[in-house]
Amino acid sequence: MTPSSSIAAPGAVPGHEATDDHGHHPSYLTDGTTVKSWLLTVDHKRIGIMYMAWVLLFFLVGGIFALLIRIELLTPGPTIMDAMTYNRVFTLHGIVMIFLFMIPAIPSIFGNFLLPLMLGAKDVAFPRLNLLSLYVYLAGAGFALWGMLNGGLDTGWTFYTPYSAHTTTTVAPVLFGAFIIGFSSILTGMNFIVTTHTMRAPGITWFKMPLMVWALYATSCIQVLATPVIGLLLLLVTAENLFSLGMFDVARGGDPVLFQHLFWFYSHPAVYIMVLPAFGVMSEIVATFSRKNIFGYRAVAYSSVGIAFVGFFAWGHHMFVSGQSTFNAGVFGVLSMLVGVFTAIKVFNWVGTVYKGAVEFSTPFAYFCGFLFFTVFGGMTGIAVATVSLDVPWHDTYFVVAHFHFIMVGATIMAFLAALHYWFPKMFGKTYHEGWGLVSAALIILGFNATFIPQFLLGNAGMPRRYYEYPERFQALNVASTAGASLLAFGFIIIAVYLTYALIYGERADNPWNSKGYEWLTASPPPTHNFIGPQPTYPEEPHFYVDPNTGKGEVSDV
Amino acid sequence: MSSAHVTPGSVPGPKLAAHFASLEVQKHAARLGMWLFLATEILLFAGLFACYAAYRFLFPEAWAACSRELDLTMGTVNTVVLITSSFTAAMAVHYAKEGKNKMVGHMFVLTLLMAVAFLVIKYFEYKHKFHIGTLPGRYYFYEGIQLPGAPLFFTVYFASTALHGLHVLIGMTVLMFSTVRAYRVGDFSANNYTMVELGSMYWHLVDLVWIFLFPMLYLV
Amino acid sequence: MAIANESQQEEHNMQEHHGAGRYVVIWVVLLVLTLVTVFTGRMHLPDFGLLLALVIASVKGTLVALYFMHLSEHRGANRLVFGVSIAFVVLLIGFTLMDFGTRFRLANPPGSQYSDLQAVDIGANKAEGRQGGHLDEKQKQEKHE
Repeated sequence: MTPSSSIAAPGAVPGHEATDDHGHHPSYLTDGTTVKSWLLTVDHKRIGIMYMAWVLLFFLVGGIFALLIRIELLTPGPTIMDAMTYNRVFTLHGIVMIFLFMIPAIPSIFGNFLLPLMLGAKDVAFPRLNLLSLYVYLAGAGFALWGMLNGGLDTGWTFYTPYSAHTTTTVAPVLFGAFIIGFSSILTGMNFIVTTHTMRAPGITWFKMPLMVWALYATSCIQVLATPVIGLLLLLVTAENLFSLGMFDVARGGDPVLFQHLFWFYSHPAVYIMVLPAFGVMSEIVATFSRKNIFGYRAVAYSSVGIAFVGFFAWGHHMFVSGQSTFNAGVFGVLSMLVGVFTAIKVFNWVGTVYKGAVEFSTPFAYFCGFLFFTVFGGMTGIAVATVSLDVPWHDTYFVVAHFHFIMVGATIMAFLAALHYWFPKMFGKTYHEGWGLVSAALIILGFNATFIPQFLLGNAGMPRRYYEYPERFQALNVASTAGASLLAFGFIIIAVYLTYALIYGERADNPWNSKGYEWLTASPPPTHNFIGPQPTYPEEPHFYVDPNTGKGEVSDV
Repeated sequence: MSSAHVTPGSVPGPKLAAHFASLEVQKHAARLGMWLFLATEILLFAGLFACYAAYRFLFPEAWAACSRELDLTMGTVNTVVLITSSFTAAMAVHYAKEGKNKMVGHMFVLTLLMAVAFLVIKYFEYKHKFHIGTLPGRYYFYEGIQLPGAPLFFTVYFASTALHGLHVLIGMTVLMFSTVRAYRVGDFSANNYTMVELGSMYWHLVDLVWIFLFPMLYLV
Repeated sequence: MAIANESQQEEHNMQEHHGAGRYVVIWVVLLVLTLVTVFTGRMHLPDFGLLLALVIASVKGTLVALYFMHLSEHRGANRLVFGVSIAFVVLLIGFTLMDFGTRFRLANPPGSQYSDLQAVDIGANKAEGRQGGHLDEKQKQEKHE
């Protein structure tokens, strides 16, 4: 494989501002160090890094709320807060984690950073809109946080009417904040779609794009198609809350179930906004650390688009017990199973890639193993709760809570951490301590299971969600769950420490994994316009590794 | 983004941003981006259409009665005005391709005038409703229609027309930029008309939404 | 080459230039269709009135999209984007209506089903201070007293 230096050929293009006399190219990190050069940058890499700073901050906030919930549930009665505070805390946990962490986490951080690198482009198609999306996100977050500090709200993150239209807590600013964040999501999605269509380097055809790009593309389609609907809905509910216009008011003939239809039209596909990029990350990582071409490239690529598509046909499975017609419930239940088909295609192909591969068991691969477990386990319970007759007793119990934390949070967190470790050298040109990486990965996977497997059991035993008290017979499992959560927190603290250490004192690294992904064709960290000199060409496939068994380059099958 | 170079030749062309491979790519990106944006707009209104459809299904009688309460003449005039403004916007693109910048400006001024006319007519419609009390939700006090669902019709009516009106205002702002550029700079040509084209596309979308809102609200 | 293909194709498609006559024709057709839909709308056709109006609106919308927005000249992604967005509008409305159409009757508010609909006095009366078809809390209390 050509080392990156020969591709970053010394022939500097005239007019390239990032070139000094000695042919030395500063990386995007050192090209301008003023605060202004960061805040007003249009460089997709810097925007990705700024997103990372903010998203991690909100992850910390949401995590603190999660710990508060777990501490409260340590004892059957009131532990550290009253019922109203508890309602506010779980609402804020949901809102912060979903709107401020999970939705932007992988697309806005790693997508922004990697998409142009993976396509051989200098930047995304609309760099200024990209910066705008960051500030729109921050403005929305500001609104939401302002509402939280001024009392918070107690509707749950789903804002169901009629309660959200009548509660006196600060619903309006938070709803409006979420509405604004929607714009940020749309801008990112539009940018990615246009970039994928127009900015691919010569040689990168649709079926030579890295699988991460396919996943981001599918995610962007969902963002563009679904987000406007919830934008409108949040506006309507804000208006309902402030002026009682009666759109969903039963007393005036309105139908709250209509609200739920519109809400889940976005919010179910939103699950795939969170988890599809995770699938993309894992497709990259599994090929790299198995030293093998991805098994069934086309199947994995198509199934990303497939999930994005059938994800829109499943929203009614959130409404089995809320007054939706039985017929619709059945139809949605059956259609929801389709998502399982496409996810299974991915899982089989990942396993097929690992099979007979030369596996290098490093931190990202450890997260891949955790991810595989959470995806399969969470996905299977998803099939179970999509069955109407099973969902009726499970609905609004901890079983559902555990299910969506497994598939949506577990899979996404695993991918987020894997991506963080895998692309850490790409972003900063440094490596972290592998031993600590494996230890914390083990802690987090263990902690996550210890937190949520008891919740499956609790839900099955009938403990409803969103209550701050429970009968004493549930205490043992709740204590186990809280213990797991503290393991998780401990794991995250270790990661924060050693990654911060690596950021400052880490060893210099360029491509420590010998990865053949397109993004590694340039230097680490990349120069401002990604490539020095002429655009690289891409004769090989993105996951092209020599087959460990035959010693020959494996041609992509299917 | 700093502009690297301007296309050679005597025809003034648009500036090429440094991260695009060529002007073609840049134009293609702008156009595709605009289509995607219009898709989000369509889905934004889709939410209201869904509300309309659901409540029309539940309250057909109230819907028919309330619809007849609206002023069909004003609605029809508004439709004609908006369709005509869409036509002039299309003509602006036509002239921009031919490099006739004066005509581009004139066409957009006509479009803007009709947009103002649309809003004025809408104002009178709203004023009448505030007067007789056909208002959304709990503000409804009209005694002529006492059917369940009647206040809901006006919730849908006001929500959709207000959102559409907001888009008219945004569209006017967008077109104003192109108008000023056509008169002041006058550099639109066959090579450089993306700005006119995209602004005009937005305006057609505003028209497109109204084409559906009109029969839904006035002609049930 | 990947970049070149898609964008060059686009450029090529957009180079078509037609006379202004085409726009005039579309404009006239749109105006005629508007008059037709007003005419048929005023007949208050019982069952398919709304359907007919929506069909006419769809024809008008298609004309605007194809010719004013030049979708007829576009290929590939632009068409796909527009088509997909329309498809998802249909999806949203379709599934929602399917729910409303197949609900068991008691799930809907009383008086809301077509078959049991009659002119119910919802009680709006400005002189008595009743608005929006239901009593405010204060009025309810007064009524009880």
